Amino acid sequence: MIETLVQAIEGGAINTWVLSTFWLWPLLEIIHFIGLSLLLGSILVVDLRLAGLLRQIDLVSTQHLLPWALAGFTMNLISGVLFFFGDPGRYSINIGFQIKMVLVLVAGLNLLVFALKINPHMSNWDPHGDTTVFAKTVAWVSLAVWTGVLLLGRLIPYIGTG
Amino acid sequence: MFEWLESTALAIWVGESLWGYPFLLGLHAIGLAIVVGIFVMLGLRMLRIIRGVSFNAFLSLYPLAWTGLLLNALSGSALFTSQATTFVQSAPFLIKISAVLAGVILGIFLQRRLKLRIADWDAADANIESSAAAFAVLSLVCWIGAIFAGRLIAYL
Repeated sequence: MIETLVQAIEGGAINTWVLSTFWLWPLLEIIHFIGLSLLLGSILVVDLRLAGLLRQIDLVSTQHLLPWALAGFTMNLISGVLFFFGDPGRYSINIGFQIKMVLVLVAGLNLLVFALKINPHMSNWDPHGDTTVFAKTVAWVSLAVWTGVLLLGRLIPYIGTG
Repeated sequence: MFEWLESTALAIWVGESLWGYPFLLGLHAIGLAIVVGIFVMLGLRMLRIIRGVSFNAFLSLYPLAWTGLLLNALSGSALFTSQATTFVQSAPFLIKISAVLAGVILGIFLQRRLKLRIADWDAADANIESSAAAFAVLSLVCWIGAIFAGRLIAYL
């Protein structure tokens, strides 16, 4: 399946564009790093408060940071897909990349739990008080998974393929 | 001096061990996300692009930002030793270090201003002076500039 995907991408219009535009790769890397700062920076604040720490921060007010997490994720989704289209053979068989993608998926499912089970109830909680064990679990899973995503992403060029 | 630095045990471990360099790069990315993430959020808050988060909240985030900075000063110094003579001649590296130093100085400045003005700023966004907003813009330029230059070290 992966081989079919790689063959479909290689030589295609996007693949050619990414590879032949000489400044594009570093520009995409810069976008990817700014995106990860927005994503991780805002998620960090939301999750630490959700974990019951930093109680000086109003719990509900952290929701104002969520659009920036989404903005950062969108920047990284677009730049990331272009990285993949630029070098599908290398990424698809890289174990670091594969685990990173699994972790991004786990983060997405964890976010879904947050959006459905926690976010709608947050306004009823004490804005400067402790949080539930369930909320803390979701928060620490998020922090652990995103830290893993970041570490693995940085390891991709160094880690073995296959 | 930079040649001596490259010959230290630390530099050799960073450069030659299998996991030294990538592991430090990973730590450096985590520290970057913490420092730049928090300072960008603060900058956007001061410019009223982000609303609804109190400045008191940002004051309580400062220790975390400085922890991220410490993480990157340590991981960055270790990374530096392995290729010290190359880095000191790299224009993007020198620009990056200048941008980070300027960003840190602005960060300290904004922290002091925040402490002085917190009651007024949290009372109404209109109380944020335009001079403070100008420093927020400078801070954003420094941190985004540091990422730009930092990424370009590998290319120029």
